[in-house]
Amino acid sequence: MSAKKIHEDQKYIEGLLKNNSFIIQAIYDKFVPKVVNYIKQNSGNEDQAKDVIQETLITIYNQAKEKNLQITCPFDAYFFLLCKRKWLNVIKKNTKEVTINEAVLSKGDDAHELALETALFGEKQVLFNTMFEKLGDACKALIKATFKIKSMEEVAASLGVTYAYARKKKSLCIGQLTKLVQESPRFKHLNN
Amino acid sequence: MEDQDYIVFDQYLQKELSKEEQSNFEERLKNDENFKNSFNTYKELSLHLEHKFEGEAEAMAFKENLQNISTQHFNKNTTEGKSSKFSIFKYAVAATVALLIGITAFNQLSSPSYADYNNHEIISLSIRGGGDSLLKEAENAFNSKNYSEAESVFNKILEKTPSNLEIQLYKAISLIETNQFSEADELLLGLSETNSAYKTKAQWYWALSKLKQEDKDACIKILQQIPEGTEYYKHAQKLLNKLD
Repeated sequence: MSAKKIHEDQKYIEGLLKNNSFIIQAIYDKFVPKVVNYIKQNSGNEDQAKDVIQETLITIYNQAKEKNLQITCPFDAYFFLLCKRKWLNVIKKNTKEVTINEAVLSKGDDAHELALETALFGEKQVLFNTMFEKLGDACKALIKATFKIKSMEEVAASLGVTYAYARKKKSLCIGQLTKLVQESPRFKHLNN
Repeated sequence: MEDQDYIVFDQYLQKELSKEEQSNFEERLKNDENFKNSFNTYKELSLHLEHKFEGEAEAMAFKENLQNISTQHFNKNTTEGKSSKFSIFKYAVAATVALLIGITAFNQLSSPSYADYNNHEIISLSIRGGGDSLLKEAENAFNSKNYSEAESVFNKILEKTPSNLEIQLYKAISLIETNQFSEADELLLGLSETNSAYKTKAQWYWALSKLKQEDKDACIKILQQIPEGTEYYKHAQKLLNKLD
């Protein structure tokens, strides 16, 4: 992807990253009405559209933050495809069908590829968060402290354990999480 | 994977392995598919957790801001049209408050004057416009009682949308405040002849303009035209009683 030219609409991604109200407002003015129309025409209402759009923008924000997302296509197409996919998933869930139709985002052009990448990223995030909640309280507290405090010496002190123990425990807790994630059927599906 | 593997994953990521250990590790990544998959997942999870907890405050601020903009965006579409009625309501409240103040003043001073009625309610134009800086500017100037500046901003807005009756009305109020009566009266006369929502409000302000000019006869005449059953009828009747 790095070989491709970054689209000028990358400004919307940067704007989201910087929490720039002006850019967020522009996204709502320019790109949101089309999504709302689509959802309304496909058995949804305005409140549902509002949620889908917000969740989509949060996923884009997370991907930009964590994975340095760079778009090589117009934001409009990318954003619309993502919202559309999310909405189709909502409909599917309501009709008690769990499988996701990947054909919605077939590999074709940049917009489709990027949207698929972001969608998978978002679904992984949901899975990771769900699995994290399954860890024991001690692991959760240690992991939280590790990434918030940064210095493992301070983490150890704050939890009243030795440095060596905190380091080892951190690896084992993330290891446990790794196992939980790898064993989930959802992950196998997402990683294919 | 064994516990020891996860410990090494972390050491590798923290760059704590010796050169030899590191190359052994990388060798195993190449040859052991399971080891590689587990390491990649471990690495991805570490990155996810780092972002999740380290960037928590920033992400919260983003979500809050997003929520606000979203709510404003979706409310704008559903409350359009309601807002003008709302501002009429606010005007009614303002006029009532102004009238109460007026009555108090009347009891003390006996003769009504424009100053008893010019306690204008705060206006809000920019909510509807969504980011129009001119509207915001006009609103600020008007609300901070800087009427000559408000007038010039209203003029700029009217250059773009000359038929905006609401702006015309606020411009007229600004003109009364800055004693530019002939222009104010002309605008208010025009508005009183429309069939718009601002018709009686314009008549009321036109009467107030005459009151400020101490043209009692003209004031009475205009007040008498305010039809029964409208919001300003009562105010008009009360003011008429005082003028008699």
